[in-house]
Amino acid sequence: MNGICKNIPRAANQGLAGCHVCEKVSLISAVNCPRCGTHLHFRKPDSINRTIALMIAAAIMYIPANILPIMSIRELGVTTESTIVTGLIQFWEARSYPIAIVIFSASILIPLLKIFALIWLCAAAKGIVPHSAKILGKVYWITELLGRWSMVDIFVVAILVTMVQLGNYMVVTPGPGALAFAGVVILTMFAAMSFDPKLLWDQLEREAAEAESEKNTERE
Amino acid sequence: MRSAQRWNVVWAIPILAILIGGWMLYQNVSSKGPEVSVRFETAEGIAAGKTDIRCRSVTVGKVTRVELDDNLQSVLVYGQLDNGNEVLLRKGTRFWVVRPRVSTADVSGLGTLLTGAYIELEPGTGDLGIRKWIGLETPPATSRSVPGRRLTLVSEEAGSLSVGSTIYYKGYDVGRIESRELDADGRRIVYEAFVREEYQALVRENTKFWNTSGVDISAGVDGFKIRTPSIQAMIAGGVSFSVNENEEPGEMVSDGSIFELHDDAEHANSSIFEPTLQVLLLFDQSVRGLNVSAPVEYRGIRIGRVKSISFDFVREKENQKVPVLVELDSGLLRATGEEILPEDELPRLEEGIRNGLRATLKIGSLLTGAMFVDFDYYPEETIENLTYKGDYPVVPTLASGFAQIEVKLASILEKIDALPTDEMVAQITNAARETATTISEAKLALKQIEKAAAAARETMANPEFKKLPADLRKSLATLDKSVSSIGPDGAIQGDLLRTLDELRSAMRSMEALSDTIKDRPNSLLFGNEESKNPRPKAAGKR
Repeated sequence: MNGICKNIPRAANQGLAGCHVCEKVSLISAVNCPRCGTHLHFRKPDSINRTIALMIAAAIMYIPANILPIMSIRELGVTTESTIVTGLIQFWEARSYPIAIVIFSASILIPLLKIFALIWLCAAAKGIVPHSAKILGKVYWITELLGRWSMVDIFVVAILVTMVQLGNYMVVTPGPGALAFAGVVILTMFAAMSFDPKLLWDQLEREAAEAESEKNTERE
Repeated sequence: MRSAQRWNVVWAIPILAILIGGWMLYQNVSSKGPEVSVRFETAEGIAAGKTDIRCRSVTVGKVTRVELDDNLQSVLVYGQLDNGNEVLLRKGTRFWVVRPRVSTADVSGLGTLLTGAYIELEPGTGDLGIRKWIGLETPPATSRSVPGRRLTLVSEEAGSLSVGSTIYYKGYDVGRIESRELDADGRRIVYEAFVREEYQALVRENTKFWNTSGVDISAGVDGFKIRTPSIQAMIAGGVSFSVNENEEPGEMVSDGSIFELHDDAEHANSSIFEPTLQVLLLFDQSVRGLNVSAPVEYRGIRIGRVKSISFDFVREKENQKVPVLVELDSGLLRATGEEILPEDELPRLEEGIRNGLRATLKIGSLLTGAMFVDFDYYPEETIENLTYKGDYPVVPTLASGFAQIEVKLASILEKIDALPTDEMVAQITNAARETATTISEAKLALKQIEKAAAAARETMANPEFKKLPADLRKSLATLDKSVSSIGPDGAIQGDLLRTLDELRSAMRSMEALSDTIKDRPNSLLFGNEESKNPRPKAAGKR
């Protein structure tokens, strides 16, 4: 694994940085990207801190998102408020298992997984937890891939609110939970964005170098 | 330094998240008001998380839990009220479930057919801070906040009166029956009645309430009576009230006053009389047709009613006489303002009996056979004294007119039975035969009459007969002449006038004569001496 990186020269070592916006590789000494003028960095600045801060914010918002009703259905004068969990239970009790599973994974499982995955990645980038490059790559890929699907709930609420407006007979209004849930989704997306996966590989590199120097000292 | 600054900026986001999330949670928690628990007999139609708690149709809370009570006899419904609704939870607050209800009196809660039941809360006026209630099983007919008079009516029987029945005053809808309960001892029905504020002044101390439900067909001493109220009252039941016409309306009443609910208007009116005296009558005849509360009259004036017909009043059952207890209001017989002391009642009765006061049974209505008790004086009866049977004074009775008629009728029938019928039949047959011969003779006579008539007709046809009118006219002319001689120019008139003149002069001399005789009666004997120079009488007296 480490051998893959061993023989290939690293861009950072040669003073080259990729632009965050247009991806053009240029010398870091240029300060700004010669193509689009964006400030050049080797790595996303303060990436781990930002990610962790956003993750904590997302985790905090996750509490009201699940406690508060995500939408209230007013049907013939009877208001029914449902949180994510009660909606899930209703679908499950109504034996709509596929829908229940979709809601469970999109609304509960994915945000939670995303939060834990990102925290794990951050920890790995800091070198706190043990890791292997392959698994970390997979985790990061899944995080990026699934993150956007956690918006399903918000879409469902938004669509219902706009479609089901039948005057006195049935009205669907979003609850405060929907807002918190949207906050969770957006915060996790920003967190995923602010995380720089190159830090992971930097850490791997560093560890490999340490291991080599240790070997060398052992040889000596 | 730079990194520290970045640190600050980035960590503002979770702090913001804490603030926003915390605020949202706080909003949610703080919007929840007090939790209440209401006990109901059944939770029919109540669903946790769905059923609203409403006050005047405004949603003030929601049912959160429904649980069976520990003793499994009732359900406990827990509700979460919205923030700021603590003021609704007072002593006297009432809860009931609004479900679709269809009764003969009204239809309510139809909206809940679609929306499902909800719990209605009616705030009370008592102390704050109560959280446990016992819900009403049936909704109150009138909200407690509606101003008006709330009365208690007590009745012997429930009849067709039910919750929601209308209260009428002169046939006009003024209120409602709010509840109906059997008394704790199961003897009476207690109604809560509500009269609206604008009509509450109509309820006075001496107001009488009676049931106007259904069709009332009664057969009494005054014949058959069929009374029907409005169709609504007929189906749903109703109560009427009024103050008796003869009475002054009393004081206004306060909430919770108790009134007796009479079976009908007649009872209500007859209840005005206050019996002052109870008298036992022992009838030596059948009292069939005499009902309890049948009238007792004195020469047609109602003075009381039959209270009871029972052998209980007589232990020894002497002569198998039927004891009838009547109650009398002697006040009905006295003049207005005349006071009779209670201790004077019996001496008066005693005196009456000594003067021949007797009670008889009389038929009030031949149609129904209903009887009444009549009091009257029969001076020809033997003098009796007031006796007592148990606690009651006994007024002697006479066999009633009807009973007498019965006896007479029986004797007549006996006589008829004793008649020599066969003989009579034979005589009648003879008579019939004779009649037949008489009739044939009569026929002959008729024929003769016919002949005479024919002869008369012939006479009429005779020309001589036709001349008769002309002769008549001649005779009339002669008569006319004779009459004209009597007229003013006639000879007879002149003679008459002369005769009258003579008569007048004769009268005058008679007058002079009578004067003379008056003045001097002796002149008849001694002649008229001083007639030459008569002196005026008046001067002589002076």
